Amino acid sequence: MDTFLQIVANGLMLGGLFAIVAVGLTLIFGIVKVINFAHGEFLMVGMYLTFLLSTGLDVHPYLTAAAVAPALFVLGALTQRLLIQPLMSARDEHVQIFATVGLSTALMNLALLVFGADIANTPAHGVRSQVMLGEVRILTGQLWVFGAAILLVIALQLFMKKTRTGRAIRATAQNRAAARLMGINDKFIYVLTFGLGAACVGLGSSLIAPLYPTSPTIGTYFVLIAFVCVVLGGLGSIPGAFFGALVIGLVDALSGFYIGSDLREAVVFTIFLLILILKPSGLFGTRMTQSHVSP
Amino acid sequence: MTETTSMTQASGGGLSAQKLGLIAVAVLLAGLIAVPVAVGDEFVYHIFITICIFAALSTAWNIVGGYAGQLSLGHAIFYGIGGYAGVILVNFGISPWFGMFAGAAVAVVAAIVVSWPCFRLHGPFFALATIAFLEVFRVLALHFRDLTGGATGLMIQLNIGWEWMVFRERFPALLIAFGMLLVCLAVAWAIRSHRLGFYLVATRERESAAKAAGVGTVKVRLMAVSVSAALSAMVGTFHAMYLTFIEPESMFSLQFSIQIAMFALIGGIGTVWGPLLGAVLLVPITEFARGALGSEAIGLHGFVYGVVLMLVVLFLPNGIMGVVHRFTSSSEKTEGEQAAPVAAAPRSAVPHEPGREVMRVEGLQKHFGGLHVTNDVGFTLREGEILGVIGPNGAGKTTVFNMLSGFLKPDQGRVSVLSPSGEWQEPATPADFATLGVGRTFQIVQPFAAMTVEENIMVGAFHRHPHVGDAREAARETAHRMGLGPYLNAEAASLTIGGLKRLEVARVMAMEPRILLLDEVMAGINQTDVRRAVDLMLSIRDTGVSIIAIEHVMQAVMSLSDRVIVINSGQIIAQGDPQKVVRDPQVIEAYLGKEFTHA
Amino acid sequence: MLEVKNVDAGYGSTVILQDISLHVEPGEVVTIVGANGAGKTTLLRTISGLVKPRTGAITFEGKDITKLEAHDTVDRGITLIPEGRQLFPDMTVRDNLLMGAYCRHARDYQDDTLHEVLELFPRLRERLDQHASSLSGGEQQMVAIARGMMARPKILMFDEPSLGLAPIIVSQVFEVIAQVAATGTTVLIVEQNVFHTLKAADRGYVLENGRMVLTDDADALLQNDHVRQAYLGI
Repeated sequence: MDTFLQIVANGLMLGGLFAIVAVGLTLIFGIVKVINFAHGEFLMVGMYLTFLLSTGLDVHPYLTAAAVAPALFVLGALTQRLLIQPLMSARDEHVQIFATVGLSTALMNLALLVFGADIANTPAHGVRSQVMLGEVRILTGQLWVFGAAILLVIALQLFMKKTRTGRAIRATAQNRAAARLMGINDKFIYVLTFGLGAACVGLGSSLIAPLYPTSPTIGTYFVLIAFVCVVLGGLGSIPGAFFGALVIGLVDALSGFYIGSDLREAVVFTIFLLILILKPSGLFGTRMTQSHVSP
Repeated sequence: MTETTSMTQASGGGLSAQKLGLIAVAVLLAGLIAVPVAVGDEFVYHIFITICIFAALSTAWNIVGGYAGQLSLGHAIFYGIGGYAGVILVNFGISPWFGMFAGAAVAVVAAIVVSWPCFRLHGPFFALATIAFLEVFRVLALHFRDLTGGATGLMIQLNIGWEWMVFRERFPALLIAFGMLLVCLAVAWAIRSHRLGFYLVATRERESAAKAAGVGTVKVRLMAVSVSAALSAMVGTFHAMYLTFIEPESMFSLQFSIQIAMFALIGGIGTVWGPLLGAVLLVPITEFARGALGSEAIGLHGFVYGVVLMLVVLFLPNGIMGVVHRFTSSSEKTEGEQAAPVAAAPRSAVPHEPGREVMRVEGLQKHFGGLHVTNDVGFTLREGEILGVIGPNGAGKTTVFNMLSGFLKPDQGRVSVLSPSGEWQEPATPADFATLGVGRTFQIVQPFAAMTVEENIMVGAFHRHPHVGDAREAARETAHRMGLGPYLNAEAASLTIGGLKRLEVARVMAMEPRILLLDEVMAGINQTDVRRAVDLMLSIRDTGVSIIAIEHVMQAVMSLSDRVIVINSGQIIAQGDPQKVVRDPQVIEAYLGKEFTHA
Repeated sequence: MLEVKNVDAGYGSTVILQDISLHVEPGEVVTIVGANGAGKTTLLRTISGLVKPRTGAITFEGKDITKLEAHDTVDRGITLIPEGRQLFPDMTVRDNLLMGAYCRHARDYQDDTLHEVLELFPRLRERLDQHASSLSGGEQQMVAIARGMMARPKILMFDEPSLGLAPIIVSQVFEVIAQVAATGTTVLIVEQNVFHTLKAADRGYVLENGRMVLTDDADALLQNDHVRQAYLGI
């Protein structure tokens, strides 16, 4: 029983980590309607920035978020402005897909060129100390990530529901032409949203860097899992992505223990495919999120 | 996604351009053999073998990703299956020449299992699903160590000689790689220039219009995916022999899958020669960089690929072939401003009588959410009859059309069609309706934008004429009849709205339908053309074709229709003789507003 | 007030509008009638900046607005109520209305305008917290009009306000349009429901195949033989 509780706790903590990557992805998808295949590389860039800043300035990695999140905001906003926006009216979907795939490939290999294939460990005080909740052991670093994920989801929800800009973002997503007729500058909204989505993963990268070794290919693993969380939670839904991430964290931890650690990914991706094909609106989604399938 | 020159029998100046193109391709292919033989350097051989392999894989990918528009980013699945099948069988003492067919067979099964459920996913989600399948295959290959050797990989037993595809020199390997490239190019070319290719492109461009033209969209996509997977697997087998060592990380690699797709995109997605061009241009650059800079430049080739890919999508969305095409076609602009008049056949003065019933519609009901969009719609259609359907915008006319052509399933009620052999049948899918001779147009025109006018009409003509030559003949005839003769080689996307409306009708006419459903084909065309279109419809009717026409142009409805149905709020509120129906106070109120009845 | 001069416009390589000219004076109710596909919607979209003219010029209150983006024309006081309502389906009626007041000059008066608009549409008051997608077609059209008024426009353009509505609702919609005009707002209506609009308008234009073929006082157009034959079916 103790083992089971421990696995569940590990799964939830892992879920929090996935969530902080998935939230930005679902935000970008839900509003800009573009799948950002480079989202994982955004995480990777953020983690390297965290590594460089915290070792260079000798500060705690968490503090670097104050610089990393804005830096990622700029990276995201530039991606939208220079790469996605010129392609938004393209007739063929493949150009948008290949644009972010190209960005992903370029960033990953740029990191290989600059940092080599070796991993970089971001040192951090206290992140690996353990907290006991009853019989269950959790790393403080994991708790921070989990808490930050919850706060991020709540903050984003409040922003989207309660502020004028947030409402304008939602309006643009629901009906772009009508939003323009309300006086909303849709191009600005898209740049802002892409930036926000990237800033979310930037925040996440400062929290994740102390827990995971940074490498040029780290993004691929996380982004594929993040896609799963996003689809599971209903595309474009921020709370959905959070709960989807918790489910995937649990599945990962439980299947790793009960089925075999080398088959965890196979289980996760099989679930992903089943959801994508059989219940495209996701576990928590609505009809609005089914735009990607033919009736 | 434009390629028109290679499939159109261009006339005059175009022919020499096409010949020039073929000569260029021949020179390029010859160079792939000649250059390494002339240089004689091991490393140059290696580069050219790599070019052939990537060009072959990319050409195979293009059949699915380009022609069919299904963006697979998991094509390494099939390559990997071929590689593993080859190596495993070699280690059992079976020649890879057999192994590659075994691999191809497994790959075809895998391809059908992978893609069938994914076809209903749109662009990026299809890509994501293929990535997920690729990850599953990679994990499984790592897991089943007994078969695949797991993470440590598999080494082939080094039996040298042609039967084992393993050589001390590079030249025979180059010959095999080159041969495989030729096979892939030949298959890709053959598909593109036959009915299957037209059907694939039509399905990619407008799935619903393709269905209406009688294309089995799922079937043609499965064929494309199977051929592509088989070719990829065969190349995979050879590549494994060439590498002599395989492991899951390299055989089922996402980066590798992306590269395959990338060459096609850079060269020109959906074109026959684009993937070859892409590989020829990019592989040497990056391989030389890798060779020259060695391990210091780890990641350099990937970085170059990524940057080139972004630049190409931004500035050359049709790839290198797009640029080539722009140069060759700029001299062929012969379009006039105004379309030629519709050539309506002179009509006989014999008064016409509608014949037996050919379609029965009974008690159709349809709800969308809480909206009752079709409420108990029923009528019959006779042979050689024109039935006009009128009603205010949003009354539910198009919804009824969708149920009469298999695009929507009614909640209740049925549609039966008299088959040519005289039995009543209840078709269910658009393909069933097309088979029974029901053709339809769409209110919002649905041209296959990347195809020429002639090719658009050919997609319809293939329904009765499976061979390209016959279909082209029939398409030209229809085009001339519809006044589209001067535009045969123009891209559909370049037509005016009036021209697109005619193209919509021409495509369905080329199917030689027995029952024609026309959805507002006269909206937005000028008065003279309306009169011509009326004459054309009457002449079609006189050949025994039955027509149901939704129209807003009252003048046309009145002079065309043998009978009129008025639909309002999803219900038939009046039907019968056109002159009587428009005097019906209920109709006037629904159509023109309440006060009008007193005006 | 609004002047369109020799405008050509279209989508991609397709030309929809050819050599269109029209003018609207302050306080007028002007209508553009024509069959489906004649280019009426494109014309309104061109005025509001959603479609860019190829040639020609559009001026509003003496200033050139030809090249402005849609969100800028709204700031100048031009509001389009688009065809098919185009509400934000997953937002509440209140949020839909508040989005109407997003533009700069309407923002500060948002609460007052909301109050005024609800006076005009008392039925919407009960619906404020419902999702727009849960309303009936007629109610949705009312929200669309109310949302347009929230921008405090100088000119309000209606694109097919009767589309897909039952006849009794159509009459209500035209009553509302008359009320809007009575507040002094200039109105430009595009309609296929020729009879209703000409009754409501001061002046009218007839658009056929992307060209203006006729313009006159609304009453005269109602009596015009061509109009009666082509659009009224008599």
